[in-house]
Amino acid sequence: MASVELRQVSKSFGNSPIIHRIDLSVPSGQFLVLVGPSGCGKSTLLRMVAGLEDVSGGDIAIGGRVVNELTPKERGVAMVFQNYALYPHMTVEQNLSFGLKLAKCSSADITARVTDAARILGLSDQLKKKPGQLSGGQKQRVAMGRAMVRQPAVFLFDEPLSNLDAQLRVRMRAEISLLHRRTKATIVYVTHDQIEAMTLADQIAVMRAGFLEQVGRPLDVYNDPATQFVASFIGTPPMNFLPATMFPTGAVPKGAVTVGFRPEGTIMGTSGQIALGRAKVRLVEPLGTIAYVHLDVAGQPVTAETKALVAPALDLELPLSVEPTALFFFDAAGKRVRSQP
Amino acid sequence: MKRQATQAWLLLSPALIGLAIFTIYPALQSFYLSLHEVDPYTAARSWVGLANYGELARSTDYWASLQTSLVFTLATVIPGVLISLGIAVGLDQSPYFKGFFRTIFLLPVAISSAMAAMLWVFIYNPTAGYLNYLLGLLGVDGPNWLGDPAHALAAVAIATVWKELGFNIVFFLAGLNAIPGEIQEAATMDGASAWQRFCRVTMPLLSPTLFFVMVVSVINSLQSFGQIHILTGGGPAGATTTMVYGLYLEAFVNFRTGYASAQAVLLFLLIMIATALQFRLAQRRVHYG
Repeated sequence: MASVELRQVSKSFGNSPIIHRIDLSVPSGQFLVLVGPSGCGKSTLLRMVAGLEDVSGGDIAIGGRVVNELTPKERGVAMVFQNYALYPHMTVEQNLSFGLKLAKCSSADITARVTDAARILGLSDQLKKKPGQLSGGQKQRVAMGRAMVRQPAVFLFDEPLSNLDAQLRVRMRAEISLLHRRTKATIVYVTHDQIEAMTLADQIAVMRAGFLEQVGRPLDVYNDPATQFVASFIGTPPMNFLPATMFPTGAVPKGAVTVGFRPEGTIMGTSGQIALGRAKVRLVEPLGTIAYVHLDVAGQPVTAETKALVAPALDLELPLSVEPTALFFFDAAGKRVRSQP
Repeated sequence: MKRQATQAWLLLSPALIGLAIFTIYPALQSFYLSLHEVDPYTAARSWVGLANYGELARSTDYWASLQTSLVFTLATVIPGVLISLGIAVGLDQSPYFKGFFRTIFLLPVAISSAMAAMLWVFIYNPTAGYLNYLLGLLGVDGPNWLGDPAHALAAVAIATVWKELGFNIVFFLAGLNAIPGEIQEAATMDGASAWQRFCRVTMPLLSPTLFFVMVVSVINSLQSFGQIHILTGGGPAGATTTMVYGLYLEAFVNFRTGYASAQAVLLFLLIMIATALQFRLAQRRVHYG
């Protein structure tokens, strides 16, 4: 196992910068999830750690050793790709053993590692099949197995679940979590799915347009977002935002222009300390135990989560309120403004 | 169901009619004529059984043309496939030039074989040609390429390889393009060197394309006519008389239609055997995704 250290790492393609001086530290054995919208540079950053992209500036260190100039092979990392990237002309067994054969491992060692990985991943019966004969989930397992057998110091995952259907995604998510617990490996995992990020990570790094917005434990990032972007990106449905002018004076600290509150902190009724005026019900999404109610407050969309068994009727007008503790404040640049104690 | 079938036949009919008129009927007619002696003046046919085939078996010229065809095929297919594969792999690495050079290499395919051959007539001209001029600059006394039986077949083969190169390159480029970049990257992550990636990932995944190009090249080579006709006319001293060219001479110079038809049937059999053989040999080595 090894730590991964990014110091002032930047990347440009031609004259256009993609990654801006990122500092990030992944302690040995930690599961770090890089999360952000498409095009934010998270995959590029991962590929730089893998050695598939050159580093334009700064240093990447794995296990304390700067690896900028090393080939992927020399870095001791293994990667799981979004589209599995299995060798279609090889059987599952050959896919798993390809890297080991290239590394000139003994055949007894290869057999032992492949058998072991296949057992852990439930692929023992599939070893003689070719990737074309496997389901999406099985292919993903082979891709994971191919990384596992090499016993790398660091696992890199590039949106590994995005090609799977929703049910399978939940199951594979659990398997990746188990894999991490079993191997205690350092993992850097890229996704645009914030639920994956929240459920898998020891630490989340939220990226936007080549910048690191916030790094922290999943619940810390959720409960204490540093920017409006993080607040809107982490959490489903996303946080509600209203102009500060819609709130009574005194409720909003100086410098804040936007007020945010999560759907679960939005109260349909008057029990909250701060009244938000009347809202009209636009849409109700029942999810079983809870329902999301999409409302319109003076032309602004607001979502409320309700546990009520009977959801409000469409076009119903009702009062909306929030507790002061549920509010987040942001300045014009989207930075968090802390309320004065 | 019945309406669907009628519609299917209706839609297929233009192709079927074309095939019947231009391929199946002439093929059957060739076989029929190969069993006859045809009078060149009256077109009267008299049944001779397998006599034409017997004559072919005894003809040293025919055996020589078979040998020439096989040598010509080997001399065009192997270099043609290897060179085009090399160029395609090189172009695939340089995305900026790919489109430009693909067009450049495809140009010879687009011009007629007669035009291309005329170009090579100028290049090969022993006194005023570019090739011998360039060789002269290197201090080499160039031979009479098309007039010397020792060099004529090689000269025609070079022109043929040049002409067909672009066709092969386009297919190889398409084949290489179809190999996902992620698979190459996965092999890199697995520790494969560029050469190991080429041998163990690229080539197996390119094998269906390679197989297709091989089969088509062999068939094209065995059927080469235009460039031979213009460059050498089968000469000198029959050095470039391939099976197709021999067939042409018998049919349209000597007007021995029956005898030429027998040659056409044998050529057809040879191509079929060559293709079947390739399918058999390739079966285990070609990976269809």
